[in-house]
Amino acid sequence: MCESTDGTPLISLRGITKRFPGVTALDELTLDIEPGIIGLVGSNGAGKSTLLRILLGLLAPTSGTALVMGRDVVREGPLIRQFVGYMPEHDVLPPDVSATELVAHLAQTSGLPVTASRERTAEVLRHVGLYEERYRPMGGYSTGMRQRVKLAQALVHDPRLLLLDEPTNGLDPSGRDDMLELVLRTGREFGITVVVASHLLGEIQRVCDFLVAIEGGRLLRADRITQFTGRTGLLAVEVDEGRDRLAAALAARGLTLHEDGRVLLVELIDEAPYDLVRDSVVELGLPLVRMEQRRHSLEDLFRDQPAAAPAAAPRRG
Amino acid sequence: MADPAPTPAATGNIYDLGYRSYDGPRLGRRHASRALYVSSLRSVFGIGRGGRAKVAPFVLAALTLLPALVSVGFDVLLSQTFGREDGPGGPGGPIESPIQYSTYLGLSTTLLILFCAAQAPELVGRDQRHRVLVLYFSRALERADYVLAKVGALATALVIVFAVPLAVMFAGSVLVARDVAAEFIVQVPRVAPAFVVAPVMALVLGGLSLAVASMTPRRAYATAGIIAVFIIPPIVIATVQEVARGDLARYIVLAGAGQILDGVNAFLFGRTPGDDMVRTAALPGPLYVGAAAIVIAAALVILLRRYQRIDA
Repeated sequence: MCESTDGTPLISLRGITKRFPGVTALDELTLDIEPGIIGLVGSNGAGKSTLLRILLGLLAPTSGTALVMGRDVVREGPLIRQFVGYMPEHDVLPPDVSATELVAHLAQTSGLPVTASRERTAEVLRHVGLYEERYRPMGGYSTGMRQRVKLAQALVHDPRLLLLDEPTNGLDPSGRDDMLELVLRTGREFGITVVVASHLLGEIQRVCDFLVAIEGGRLLRADRITQFTGRTGLLAVEVDEGRDRLAAALAARGLTLHEDGRVLLVELIDEAPYDLVRDSVVELGLPLVRMEQRRHSLEDLFRDQPAAAPAAAPRRG
Repeated sequence: MADPAPTPAATGNIYDLGYRSYDGPRLGRRHASRALYVSSLRSVFGIGRGGRAKVAPFVLAALTLLPALVSVGFDVLLSQTFGREDGPGGPGGPIESPIQYSTYLGLSTTLLILFCAAQAPELVGRDQRHRVLVLYFSRALERADYVLAKVGALATALVIVFAVPLAVMFAGSVLVARDVAAEFIVQVPRVAPAFVVAPVMALVLGGLSLAVASMTPRRAYATAGIIAVFIIPPIVIATVQEVARGDLARYIVLAGAGQILDGVNAFLFGRTPGDDMVRTAALPGPLYVGAAAIVIAAALVILLRRYQRIDA
């Protein structure tokens, strides 16, 4: 009943302004978001959390309207929130109950029947990688486990829209990788639209299809991630031997090349270089080690947007 | 949506097990509120928590039950010694037992207040302390639903703690009697006013306690605040009645929640108030009922405003 109807964007923001005493957190934000994995980037204090909280109806905008699945978040909060999952940034878990108890209880407060809540809790805790420890009080959990529980409670009612606020906060590098992998899988394989707010562009870049950049409460840019990076996309090619021969062959086919140590960087204007590199490697019979797309850092790209962003680009990124 | 059935161990990915989409019913806000109410009610009694969480509520409930057990034991003893007809009013003259349906509120008010002081901070402070509120408010609930679920839970718990002793007394007197059916018919109208007294008491004590407790995540402050709200007014009332005369000395009694409840109880049971200050004031009964309604409404308004504004 609450599926996004055809033609209606999943999220539609019109002139959203949120003022706190002394601060304008969001300033006339107008934006449509289509299904996919969406990165919401900006430095700390850019207004990311405020935006997520407005989408949840946790905060009322000072002016403007926010529609989620075509419905007004202020007037139809409980209905919409049956289909929205939210992973807050901060620690929100009571220490004296187990993950199973908390998540099953929260599933019910999302509208799921008792039995379904229990079943979904078991499934979703497995999905995030919590096993025996899920029966123990959460006070003894590591940060990584706590983040997983926070993700599980946001997923337990199978939302259409998942809002994640800094999901890798406080995690070590391998924990970050695991969490990003989970986000990616959740978005790709289960068709849940995910909005990931983060100040870490590098992470967002790894998982997102779309990017929404805000700074100082204003929209800096919103586009497919390929649009951000396509212009300066690079194909890194590494061969065990014969690098110079390959470089010569590729240059002969009209490609622009850079050298980066043992790696050849091929400028990507369109898809053609992939085939050309493959053909050249085969013709020369070279041992290809790897071939991967590289992107320039997004900070650089924001800095290259003078027209769209008269305000300072996100420095802390 | 296609069923993302896990591909068996093809990737060796440790997460590739559980997740499936859910196509079952979503029961919405009322179901969500009820779930919060039920879990809150359980937590008032420490059910589903560790053993320590059960100590305070069950000890206080047991103490509240004690007079009823004494009364029933006394009844049984008398009926065996003298026969029921000579019972409490027995040979020694018309001795009325101090333990009656109509006096039970007076006997248990202090314990009920302690019950609130112990459990109300747990009920609302915990969610603030651990920032759990945001998890509730981002679900199929409105903030007002949260308030009503919590007030409902504590009020229900107070009704249970208060009503169980009355039920024991009722069962005791009926079962001890020679003619059970006749005694039943005699007892029902006697206990009937408690059906109104209990919810009024529960909403006044529970509402005020939660209004105080919601102001702070700190348990100790909340407990102290609740005790203060019930202890300080009687002191003020007694002092004012001592030094003042006229209307002020009479109406000041409405400043105390315990006194209001005593007035309501006396009015509904048709008895003299047990509280000296309430007797001295000699206000008309309906006034106490009105005052109780105002206290309940005020507590709810405070709570609703608090939770509209609280940062979650």
